[in-house]
Formats: sequence, C-alpha cells, structure tokens
Amino acid sequence: MAADGGQDLITLTTDRLSADRVSESVTCPSCGAASLFIGTTRDNFEGKKVIRLKYEAYSPMAESELRKICHEIRTKWPSVRHINIQHRLGVVPITEASVVIGISSPHRRDSLEAVKYCIDTLKATVPIWKKEIYESGEPCWKENKECLWADAGKDPKQS
Amino acid sequence: MNTEVSVLYFAKSAELTGLKAENITVPSNISSLQLWQHLETRHPSRLSVLRDQVVLALRQEYVPLGEQPLTLRDGDEVAVIPPLSGG
Repeated sequence: MAADGGQDLITLTTDRLSADRVSESVTCPSCGAASLFIGTTRDNFEGKKVIRLKYEAYSPMAESELRKICHEIRTKWPSVRHINIQHRLGVVPITEASVVIGISSPHRRDSLEAVKYCIDTLKATVPIWKKEIYESGEPCWKENKECLWADAGKDPKQS
Repeated sequence: MNTEVSVLYFAKSAELTGLKAENITVPSNISSLQLWQHLETRHPSRLSVLRDQVVLALRQEYVPLGEQPLTLRDGDEVAVIPPLSGG
C-alpha cells in the first residue's frame, strides 16, 4: 500500500474474472495511464487439444507472495498508484481469463513496465499450479520456465 | 528435540501421495533435504520423481532442498512446492 492511499487489491477467486472491473478499480483522477494484462487459457498445446484447465493454489502464501510483488512494484516505480491482481482458481474454461492485472500511474511508462514485471514475477514466485486436461491423453501439470526449480531441460515451452 | 509439524501437498505431489495434508514428527533442527527424504520415506516410490524439481515452504517462505538446518517449531506449516504454473 502506498503512503498516499494507493491500493493493492489482491483476489484469488473461482468466479469469472472481469477485465472491465479491474480496469475501473485502478482508475484515479491523477493517473493518465492504466495498464492491463489479461492471461487467458489457450486451447492447444503441442498439437493436443486442451478442453479445460484447473488451477490450484497455496492460497495464504499466494496472497503473501502477491503482496511482496506489489511492494517491489512500488519500490521500483514509486509513481504507481493502484494495483489490482486477480487470479482465478478451480476450473477455467478455454479462452476465459485466468489472471488479470491492472496498474495505474500518472504517466504510461511506469504502469506498462510494472504490469510486465508483475506477470513475470508472478509466474516465477506465486504458489499457483495449472493442470491442462486434454481431449485425449493424460492431464498434465504445467511448469513455468520462469520457476527456478522447474526442469527446463525436460519440459520446454510453457506460458 | 522433536516437533510436530503439518505438511501440505499441492498439485502433482498431492496426486502422488493421495494426500492434501498430514502431520509428522521430526527433529526440530532437521535440514530441508532431510525433511524431504523423510517425506519420501513415508511415501515410498511416489514422491521421489519430484526430487529434482521441488522446493519446500516453511511458514510460507520458500526453502530449497539443502543442508542448512531449519528451526522447526510445533505447529509449523511445511508445504511441498512442485514447479509453479500460475499466471
């Protein structure tokens, strides 16, 4: 939370996410920019058709890691005003959003850079896991290449 | 001195053990690697596939598998953390 009342909003929910609501929540009169990232679920992986995704989280730690990311964002980009990070859990149908990040700032460079930093760091540090369920074949727990303890050699691609 | 801690399993580790959580009793100054090995012993031929791609979390802070002694307290929460795939 910033000293001047800037808010960190963090939500883990099984409800459908709304980019509009996130965008509205970070707007403020003193900000000329609101940047948004929407991560959606793809319908294919290595030629296999993905029919569903399921997300699981170590929720209390996921929230605390997201708070750390907000703190780091405010240290690196002090002009950032509001941050809203929403991650969906449970079953997420194809093409629906699994994560929405909204960040506002007076000028656009800071919010754009902060959003990139936010999603990159989330993928490396927040204890959330995604399972892809395919039309045929075994489901697969995915591994982000950003995660330091993923086996990059065995399982290329991701995200 | 022994401590009783809870262990939470997530994602692949929960599927391999068939558990979301269990309580274990271990020495309070065990290392993270020894703690992992203890869990492998409790679930023979199941968790070992994760050994090179797992970290632990103690009191919601990540701990890689290593020699450094942890300082476990009764009621501490340990979690098994397979590679992340959020976002």
